[in-house]
Amino acid sequence: MKLDLVHDLQEAYRKTLDSMSRPGLISNIRDQASKVAMEINDFIPPAALVMVLMLFDTEVKFKVCSKREAEIAELINQLTYAKATEIESADFILVLKDADPEEFEQVINSACPGDLHDPHKAATIIVEADSVSNDRDLTLIGPGIEIESYISVKTNYSWVDLRAEKNSEYPLGIDLIFTDRDTNILCLPRTTQIVQEVAG
Amino acid sequence: MRIEYNFAFFDEGSKREIRRATLKAVAIPGYQVPFASREMPIARGWGTGGLQLTLSLVGKEDILKVIDQGSDESVNAVNIKKLITKTTGIKVTDETSEATIIQSRHRIPEIPLQAGQILVLQVPLPEPLRYYEPSELETKKLHAEQEYSGAWLMLFEQIMNYGTMSTGADHPAMVHDRYVMAPSPIPRFDNPKLNHSQALILLGAGREKKVYAVPPYTRVESLAFEDFSFEVEGFKNKYCGLCGAKEVFLDEMLDDLTGETFYQCNDTSYCLQRLNQKSAG
Repeated sequence: MKLDLVHDLQEAYRKTLDSMSRPGLISNIRDQASKVAMEINDFIPPAALVMVLMLFDTEVKFKVCSKREAEIAELINQLTYAKATEIESADFILVLKDADPEEFEQVINSACPGDLHDPHKAATIIVEADSVSNDRDLTLIGPGIEIESYISVKTNYSWVDLRAEKNSEYPLGIDLIFTDRDTNILCLPRTTQIVQEVAG
Repeated sequence: MRIEYNFAFFDEGSKREIRRATLKAVAIPGYQVPFASREMPIARGWGTGGLQLTLSLVGKEDILKVIDQGSDESVNAVNIKKLITKTTGIKVTDETSEATIIQSRHRIPEIPLQAGQILVLQVPLPEPLRYYEPSELETKKLHAEQEYSGAWLMLFEQIMNYGTMSTGADHPAMVHDRYVMAPSPIPRFDNPKLNHSQALILLGAGREKKVYAVPPYTRVESLAFEDFSFEVEGFKNKYCGLCGAKEVFLDEMLDDLTGETFYQCNDTSYCLQRLNQKSAG
């Protein structure tokens, strides 16, 4: 079945909004992601592709971090008319699993954090993780969280300290959306603080 | 000619733009995110901001409630409901607990909101500092610098002039200890409901082209002074003439013939629900 650009994307949006307003809440977009079974799946994982179709259009500038950046960027441009750009000026940055750890570090450091007049111009970074879960690895506090919530995000690169540094001057900062191969989505808006990291 | 509108009236591009702005609004609680604010088939200032948010959210399974000053049946509420149901075919309800999206003008329902619900508030004047600073460029600077003395001064002057904070509605509130926000013209009575709300609250101003948000479990503190605390409207010893409810927001009514004053619940669906329960029991 083909992805319904009206209803499937609406459902995906509501799930994303739910996860963004309740950091730590993991939503699953399997129903939507399973419908983007096109040949482009080889390039972009389905969950990330749903995010791209949901949010990107001609007004958006994006950057892809991947070994196959050129192909993927061209594909996204063909699908959404969004324009590929450099890290510093991108509204959305897509970091795929095969990106270099150094590249990821560069993304976090150079991504636009907005400015005090326009903090909403900050970048949203969509990261393909190996897996996301509610295992007690990291403890989150902040708006949207009643007391605490717990997450575990498995990635090839460490991001917790980089993110904390980048988001140290609220309201400036970056917002993260993690996706994984089980089509889960986990959002970490800049307001969320990771208070403790349990080793191992 | 009968026009076949897209689901939820908007084209997908318009929805996407509002959705991007909404996600940023949630990430920066209380900060007013500019958005394009499309032309709507109702006039600006009549709830187009709220309506655009609702249309960007709504899906086939949603159940919608729209209220205007506490009433499900006033012209504004009915027309907005008609537009949404005609372009989506979704169910509408009067019951607060049944709704998944509640669009409201000037009230937060009496029945506590739950997780899974989204409250959309229509906002005429999203800028809490506009009263003393007419320039948008300047108010943006003031927000950037967290310079809110003007808002405090406004309240101070009210206390000096009238002996009380005379904000009838739209009493400014500090969100997540950073941004001062206009909570839309809800009575002071409803301000505490914004604090640590279980539901996501989205605010939309169509004419002023801004959306902002209060995520669930976010600190929202009404502005007040250490020696002059924030107080909600009091309805001491008053109750609803129809259902007998106390400690709810009441409308004052005047009986033309007898000249007597009486009170009625402002939230009509809450009142009706109580009356139905009474007659059933």
